[in-house]
Amino acid sequence: MSGLPLQGIRIADFSWLGAGSYATKILADMGADVIKIESSTRLDSLRMGAPYKDGKPGVNRSGYFADRNTSKRSVTIDMKHPRALGLIRKLIEQSDIVANNFTPGVMEKFGLGYPQVSAMKPDIIYLAMSMQGAEGPERDYLGYGSSIVSLTALQHLTGMPGREPAGTGTNYPDHIPNPCHAAFALLAALRYRRRTGRGQYIDLAQLEPTIALLGPTLLDLTVNGRNHECNGNQHDWAAPHGVYPCVGDDRWIAIAAMDDMQWAALVEVLGSPAWAAEARWNGAVARRRDCEELDQLLGRETVRWGAEKLMAALQARGVPAGVVQNTEDVIKHDPQLAHRGHWIRLNHAEMGEALYNAPPFRFSRTPVELRAPAPLLGEHTREVCVGLLGISETEVDELIAQGVLK
Amino acid sequence: MPSAPPAALAGLRVLDLSGPMGNYCGKLFADLGADVILVEPPSGTRLRFEPPFLEDTPGLERSLAFAYHNTSKRGISLNLDTVTGQELLRRLVAGTDVIIETEKPGVMRRRALNYEALARVRPGLVYTSITPFGQTGPYAQYESSDLIALALGGLLYLGGYPDTAPVRVYGNQAYLCASMYGAVAAMLAVLDAESSGSGQHVDVSMQECVVLGLENAVQFYDLEGIVRKRYAGEQRWAGTGVFKCADGHIYLMAGGIGANKFWGRSVGWLRDENMPGAERLLGEEWTRVEYLRSDEAKRIFAELFVPWVRTKTKAYLYREGQRRHIPIAPINAPADLLENRQLKFRKYFVEVMHPLRDTPMLMPGAPYKLSETPWRIQRPAPRLGEHNAEVYREIGISGGELARLFSAGVV
Repeated sequence: MSGLPLQGIRIADFSWLGAGSYATKILADMGADVIKIESSTRLDSLRMGAPYKDGKPGVNRSGYFADRNTSKRSVTIDMKHPRALGLIRKLIEQSDIVANNFTPGVMEKFGLGYPQVSAMKPDIIYLAMSMQGAEGPERDYLGYGSSIVSLTALQHLTGMPGREPAGTGTNYPDHIPNPCHAAFALLAALRYRRRTGRGQYIDLAQLEPTIALLGPTLLDLTVNGRNHECNGNQHDWAAPHGVYPCVGDDRWIAIAAMDDMQWAALVEVLGSPAWAAEARWNGAVARRRDCEELDQLLGRETVRWGAEKLMAALQARGVPAGVVQNTEDVIKHDPQLAHRGHWIRLNHAEMGEALYNAPPFRFSRTPVELRAPAPLLGEHTREVCVGLLGISETEVDELIAQGVLK
Repeated sequence: MPSAPPAALAGLRVLDLSGPMGNYCGKLFADLGADVILVEPPSGTRLRFEPPFLEDTPGLERSLAFAYHNTSKRGISLNLDTVTGQELLRRLVAGTDVIIETEKPGVMRRRALNYEALARVRPGLVYTSITPFGQTGPYAQYESSDLIALALGGLLYLGGYPDTAPVRVYGNQAYLCASMYGAVAAMLAVLDAESSGSGQHVDVSMQECVVLGLENAVQFYDLEGIVRKRYAGEQRWAGTGVFKCADGHIYLMAGGIGANKFWGRSVGWLRDENMPGAERLLGEEWTRVEYLRSDEAKRIFAELFVPWVRTKTKAYLYREGQRRHIPIAPINAPADLLENRQLKFRKYFVEVMHPLRDTPMLMPGAPYKLSETPWRIQRPAPRLGEHNAEVYREIGISGGELARLFSAGVV
């Protein structure tokens, strides 16, 4: 496809699992030739992460893996084989970026630390995104997105007072904070290289972008000495602000009345119940003070409404309100996501037609699409060896027979 | 004086007209060396009114949220609802590469400051619009907030406990997701514009950004017909979840994600620790992911692990588990981060001055370390209108004219 922003950029991609694969996926969708280096001897664990097509496990059947690896090519190389490094060198010599999210030491064991790689390709941009960073007393500590939610205090800060810390219910840092920070750093480094001819080493410790998102909370601690605790769905100063039951099984609406006018409109939409007219609810300060009681009273009103109908009625009066949509809602019923063309169906070689997310932005001139579904394990091994590394077909056969390309 | 190291985004001019949905986007550009000018209405931008405040006292120069999200930027005041203000912005745009704006769709058009209008002034302009739902569509004019975006984006439904209403992730994460993706999208368009000479309109939807945080829930529905639910307070799989220990909580993922690669190490550790009954976790069935998902496996694991782990501290469990390469983490409070030896080693927290304080403030620092072009806070967040004189001078406005604009309420 022509005209994509990263056309002509090649990434030798050693990343796996969540954050690393998602970071390079963003660039792959935007035109970079991302060559995912995998091995059946050391499988990307996400290939065995549920869900699977028809519920049947298999290295080419994970939807979790598929959504994070669109538009990439996959080659299998057993990095422990003595002939592997020579092949990788040929690839790196033709690459602009080398990316990995291993704990420190793994790439070095492959002979692919930054000094070695920059000797192969002096202007390489080398992204290392371990959990704790390249140096330091806990550099070898490992974990997943959920571990990072816990370590960064996001878990502690999310939940209901008096209950177990709830967290996001996901490996949140893997999906947005770390991929976005990594992609932004890579794009900035690409710009710098374009202007100076110089590559560089990027050390992204996956703890750190998520902590960066908590800046105001940490400043409240370091400047004002305040330790924040979780507070459910409450807002710092507005009320009502929460999640309220609606008609149906596990149906909810989120309402955020940010000022007195929105509060008044909310009360009217709900049919002006007598309790809401009491003077004690005048002003955000008063509503915020007794917000738990207010939430209960509101819940008795909202529970008579269908969530979609109440959202429409409130939005018509300018009150911020939204159905707490489950996955079926966002995929099948949300008219806005449908209007945006968010959901893309791609035909995957083994999974058949499956659902993928589009990137969450649109350009007025450049098409924003997914260029291809996720690759099968090793789908492009021969194509890359012959077409890019200049290896003959017979030599490829030999490398396969010797167990290098597996 | 040694010269400052080079900056990755040197020479890039950004106008940040945004608010809470976009200021972090501007900060990402500014801390890598772009010249980001925060353009505020004369009454001050939204974040100036958001807590926390210095000493808990509101004031235009006292918001710590503002101080954090606007580091490294210059700041000017400009009333974009006046014809003169609009003309001044167009003059600024002539030397600008990127705009970040978060107005409701249609507002910038009414000001004649929409993409098409400004692209005539600056064809290479990357015009980044970050909005709750995108520029067009049935919800484009809907009111939103962080909570509403989390709700309509599906992430709120996945958070919290099975027996209560869904609970939102802390800290305006929907706004921040929009900012982060806004920065990535804008930077992609910058690279494109710098080679092609043509900019474009970048349309970012906060709701869509939140949808990207649904993990594998979308695929669970598509491939297996399962609507994923919230599960806080429960083990997700046997050995995976939050557990109460002597001085707080830990998060253990005894098996890891996907393939059950850590289970053997985890059980080996618990046996080394002489946890009573640890041998019950040894059978062949425990190596299978399907078994770990079963209620029986969760019940057995809890029976054994819960009483044992209550006798150990967070620090002990973290150190001993990680020594064996097991994915275990303490559930830290914010104060724990300041004491974290790894973050200290990396000099993660940085000191930044504040105009109303004698001593610097400690705040999160580099989210990434770039060897050639280090992340760096160029200056504290600007006071309201701090750089009016120098920025307006750059577009040829003299002191006398600036004084007239000031009394006319334009700046």
